[in-house]
Amino acid sequence: MNSPKIVCPNNKRLLKGLAGYSVVVRVDELSQAVGAAADVRDLGISLACLIVDSNLPLDQLALSEDQKAIPLVIVSPSMGKFRNLAERLERLRAMNVRIYLPCDGPGNSTALKILSSLGINGCALIGREPTDWEALSDLMTYALLERTPHAPIEPFEFIASHYNPLSTLNWRGVYFDDPAQFLHMDAKGRIALTAAELKKKRFIAQSLEEIGEAAAFPAIKDRQQEWRRFFVENHPCASCNGWKICMGMFSAALDKDQGCSRFFREMIEVTRQYRTQKPSQTYLKFGS
Amino acid sequence: MANILLTTSCNRSCPYCFAKREMATITKEPLLSWDNLIYIADFLKAEGQRHISLLGGEPTLHPECVDFILYLLERGFEVTVFTNGVLSPLRLKEFKRHLVEVTVERLSFVCNLNDPEQTPASDQERERIHQFLSLLGPWTIPGFNIYRLDFRLEFLFDFINRYGMKRHIRLGLTHPVPGRQSDFIQVEKMRTIIERLCSYRKWFDSFRVTPGLDCGFPICKFTDEELGWMFRLRVASHFSCGPAFDIAPDLGLYHCFPLSNYQRRSLLEFDSLRQIDEHFARLHDQLKCELPGIYAECDGCRAQEEGVCCGGGLCQVLTRFREEARIRLPEIEDELAKDSLSE
Repeated sequence: MNSPKIVCPNNKRLLKGLAGYSVVVRVDELSQAVGAAADVRDLGISLACLIVDSNLPLDQLALSEDQKAIPLVIVSPSMGKFRNLAERLERLRAMNVRIYLPCDGPGNSTALKILSSLGINGCALIGREPTDWEALSDLMTYALLERTPHAPIEPFEFIASHYNPLSTLNWRGVYFDDPAQFLHMDAKGRIALTAAELKKKRFIAQSLEEIGEAAAFPAIKDRQQEWRRFFVENHPCASCNGWKICMGMFSAALDKDQGCSRFFREMIEVTRQYRTQKPSQTYLKFGS
Repeated sequence: MANILLTTSCNRSCPYCFAKREMATITKEPLLSWDNLIYIADFLKAEGQRHISLLGGEPTLHPECVDFILYLLERGFEVTVFTNGVLSPLRLKEFKRHLVEVTVERLSFVCNLNDPEQTPASDQERERIHQFLSLLGPWTIPGFNIYRLDFRLEFLFDFINRYGMKRHIRLGLTHPVPGRQSDFIQVEKMRTIIERLCSYRKWFDSFRVTPGLDCGFPICKFTDEELGWMFRLRVASHFSCGPAFDIAPDLGLYHCFPLSNYQRRSLLEFDSLRQIDEHFARLHDQLKCELPGIYAECDGCRAQEEGVCCGGGLCQVLTRFREEARIRLPEIEDELAKDSLSE
């Protein structure tokens, strides 16, 4: 396992201690992006990308020419009004950016479709709020089966490209929440496994040095083996047909309606169709 | 060419309107949604279409009308908006803020105008039309629906000059809606209409304005001289019916407003424009086998055989079916019966 990338706040003191690591820097405002990227580069650290965790809708963000060179992830609560966004589209399209929108309702699912149809990469943030599975299913079908050229919408593109019917698939990396790929650091240098756990101050180590080789660190190993718990507990997720993709990711929100189960079963079916439509790509054949 | 209905609501009630009642009773969703717009845009884009017309009701009543126009422009479509020009101050402000930078090649309007004396508008409507044309006159073609024999066109030339509108007038005939009571130009009055239209030839020539004829005009009712005049002006006249089709907010698909309930389908039933074309071609063939056109002379007419003329609009042909009780094909009877039952 390669050493995980470190997701950390924009803090020069912290960054100085991360020589040799690849980092993902988290900022609150887009206006800080250029300065943060420059700081990282000045220190000779590899910048994987920069996450802008904004409170503003996408149409209110101040995009500028000098942001073009930075690999950006913009997390925004909504798209805002298209008429305002239209003025920024040319700039947005020229940027190396992926837009993350929470998909707790049909509004943002539609927004992601709009962005995708205009050539802007997007990602549906699933599971932060109660999820509208029907809208998500519609978005997933659009992302994978729409015949008109459009930009990828994650996590669907990742799942459809990497799904192997013979094994499970971990796609939390799309959200920077796979400890094998990303570890989250707070301003004091403490380490958490996910962004949500960082917010809740659930740390696994007080510093990066404490972790040493990530693959061997108990908390990280445990997290990667956590799926076994579902089978030990005979949890309904363990016998769900969507298990290989979901791996119990939504077990806490498992409702009577089992919308997540329907969604992931449909996702597998759509993935089959997606691969039929794109025969040039190399995948493991179903049933082989 | 696809006409997309943004809404089924309208803020005017023109005496000749052949769409209002149909739209209000048939379409399930009054406003086009973003999801449906994206579906339509993707469908047309995949088929290589470059032009989209936005209709209503009154399309500018859709709260996201500006957003939809900007979106379609971003998708690379040329957009034409068919409006009555009665825009609220808020909508006009939005148009001013977001659309006046778009070139006239990419965005145009067809403003349906009524004769101020024969079909008077309220003071507020007149003022709003004035505001709209003052802002977007150069983007706009005047449109006029002929619904009475003594129609007048003088005011249109005045509008074109006053507001710097495009030097073209789109002339439409008011059509019958099969099975409904509505005002329309009777087929036996076509020659009267054409004579009156051609009496404005001097006006068209001196103002350097070209007429454009919408569907339903039969070629046989024009004299050779009249046709020659139009040919020299390269008049956009097609004596056919179609090939445009309308897509309702609920993705309902039909031939045109007067036939919105006749063999109505959903866009979701089709995978390509070719399938849609074939569907409407079948509809034409089915009817034309029974009745070739609006006149008895249409049967065996050379212009129709060679595809130059369609023998009047399909809605006019269907109305003749009903009036003359010549229906034989059960498919046609069934479709027409739907109107009778819904009345």
